[in-house]
Amino acid sequence: MTRGIVLLLVLIAALMLASIAYGDHPLAWGDLFGEDPEAQMIILDLRLPRALLALLVGMGLAVAGAIAQAILRNPLADPGILGINAGAALAAMLLIVMLDGPSIQSLAIAGFAGAAVTAGALHVLSWRNGTTSTRIILIGIGLSAFAGAATTLLTAFGDIHDVQRAMIWLAGSVYHADWSSVRFLALWLISPLALAFIAARELDLIRFGDAAALSLGQRADLIRGLMIFLCTLLSGAAVAAAGLIGFVGLIAPHMARRLVGPAHARLLPMAALIGAALVMAADLLGRSVIAPAQLPAGITTALIGAPFFGYLLWRQRHVTA
Amino acid sequence: MSSLIGADESERARQLALAGLCLALIPLTLWAAASGTASVSLGDVVDAIVAFDGSREHLVVTSLRLPRVLAGLLAGSALAVAGAIMQAVTGNPLAAPDLLGVNAGAAAAVVAAMSLLGVGSQSALVWYAFAGAASAAAIVFMLGSFGRSGATPLKLVLAGAVLTACLSSLTTALLIYDQATFDSVRLWTAGSLSGRSMADIGAIAPYILTGLAAALLFRRHLMTLSLGAEAARSLGQNPLLWRGFAVVLVVLLAGGAVALTGPIGFVGLVIPHIARLTAGVDYRWIIPFSAAGGALAVVLADTLGRILFAIQSFPVGVSLALLGAPFFIWLARRFRGHGR
Repeated sequence: MTRGIVLLLVLIAALMLASIAYGDHPLAWGDLFGEDPEAQMIILDLRLPRALLALLVGMGLAVAGAIAQAILRNPLADPGILGINAGAALAAMLLIVMLDGPSIQSLAIAGFAGAAVTAGALHVLSWRNGTTSTRIILIGIGLSAFAGAATTLLTAFGDIHDVQRAMIWLAGSVYHADWSSVRFLALWLISPLALAFIAARELDLIRFGDAAALSLGQRADLIRGLMIFLCTLLSGAAVAAAGLIGFVGLIAPHMARRLVGPAHARLLPMAALIGAALVMAADLLGRSVIAPAQLPAGITTALIGAPFFGYLLWRQRHVTA
Repeated sequence: MSSLIGADESERARQLALAGLCLALIPLTLWAAASGTASVSLGDVVDAIVAFDGSREHLVVTSLRLPRVLAGLLAGSALAVAGAIMQAVTGNPLAAPDLLGVNAGAAAAVVAAMSLLGVGSQSALVWYAFAGAASAAAIVFMLGSFGRSGATPLKLVLAGAVLTACLSSLTTALLIYDQATFDSVRLWTAGSLSGRSMADIGAIAPYILTGLAAALLFRRHLMTLSLGAEAARSLGQNPLLWRGFAVVLVVLLAGGAVALTGPIGFVGLVIPHIARLTAGVDYRWIIPFSAAGGALAVVLADTLGRILFAIQSFPVGVSLALLGAPFFIWLARRFRGHGR
């Protein structure tokens, strides 16, 4: 555990340095800490906020994914199951197709609003004398399908230029990072992340099933509702800041589980670090592999994460369950 | 788990319901073939099938309407049955046929063929899609079968989710930089029944029909498989063998369907759930109910979509989810499972 965390921290630090040093305008290592005003401008205004935004987005998504997998008791769950991605995509798509070139800020607000509305609707619709994880999953499927179909409709019949612009936003990227978005996201994420870590034991309990959780004194419905709320805050904000970066919320918790086991007190921090490293590495790869053009981080995340996850599966091939 | 038809009620209710569903397909098919921009009477539709005379109405029916309806029937029941099989094998309510990477593989192959090789004809794309779907599923099965425990459901679905994410990233990466291909492929990716010829259907139908027949024939074994590896083993079944068999069926069914109509979502995931919520948890019933219900849902949604939105190329995947999702949510709200 400690060794894993130290290794990941070193990896994140290395990724941070590489993200700062590497780019269209290569900087010598000496420039990183020098007095050159041009280099300082590039580092402080462009590369550092971008790397930090990637780090924060990765942490938020990974923790949200771990929470979703615990409360839904389903290894395939990710924040997307709660309708968050589909809702954010629909809201952003509507804005892009209806308005002429909406600003990044308005897209972020629309994305978060769409995510929050769908997650809220999900909870209301699945409430019938309490919720059950199966009902949440089923209704989440229905809501996501509905919002997804509306988005596809806009994709198929909207103006091709608008649709393509929307697709880049939907693919998820941290191109437009600046200090104000980094500060905002950092402040926003602090309390839900802290609450999730405090609630690690509740997550352990609810994973065993409602009957076990209730008999151990947990108010399962209340916890599930609160956790859906936390999940929405975390991944809704990440989506608002960076568009739809899929895969992290699904895979980072699985990687963490394979490294430190299922107890959430250890799983959550590990998943957060893995998520941060994944998105940072994805962004770095995305902007260097076909430079000067850039691939959105949401695309490269899967390309980096998939082989590594395949390796983890291979290494643990003899472990049952 | 509750259902609208309780276990205490006779098998007869289910048999009647299934027969009713199948019978409903006949008037639906005729109605779907009759409705469209050029008005054709129901009598003409019947005549065109049984006594073709080469008139304009008959040509419209045989070359445009019927292929569309047939594609809908085939793809609908194939996807729904493939979804039911996936849910039986993995025991996961989130499992859909595309979880084996079938849709993502087909989409990646179609986009690569259009963008890199310049393939444009619909009939050629059918084979690219089928090959893409089959190879993606083969890779998922190999990745998921690492190790002594073989293809466990958890490893399979994770490998499928990972490969799907990876392939769709590659597809998106190609499309972001190739507007022309994106423009021509975006209707395909929504799943559409328009513009299919009888030749396309003739090429794909054998695979789908084989898959359907095998699924119906071996539904008892699929039921046993859905009980989990231990129960299956104690009933004398080799779960590893049958899981492999189930994957082959899903490739035939879902691969054929995606080749024919593009990735139609929703059917494969939701129709088996609807079958379970109405006919109970027994896969011996879920599979035939899914086959009939999937065909019904796709053709109904396609025809309603054409009428309501007055666009002939309206993607069936969209109308299906727009019309079907509210119904499904209503149905799922009635579900009273506890502690699961």
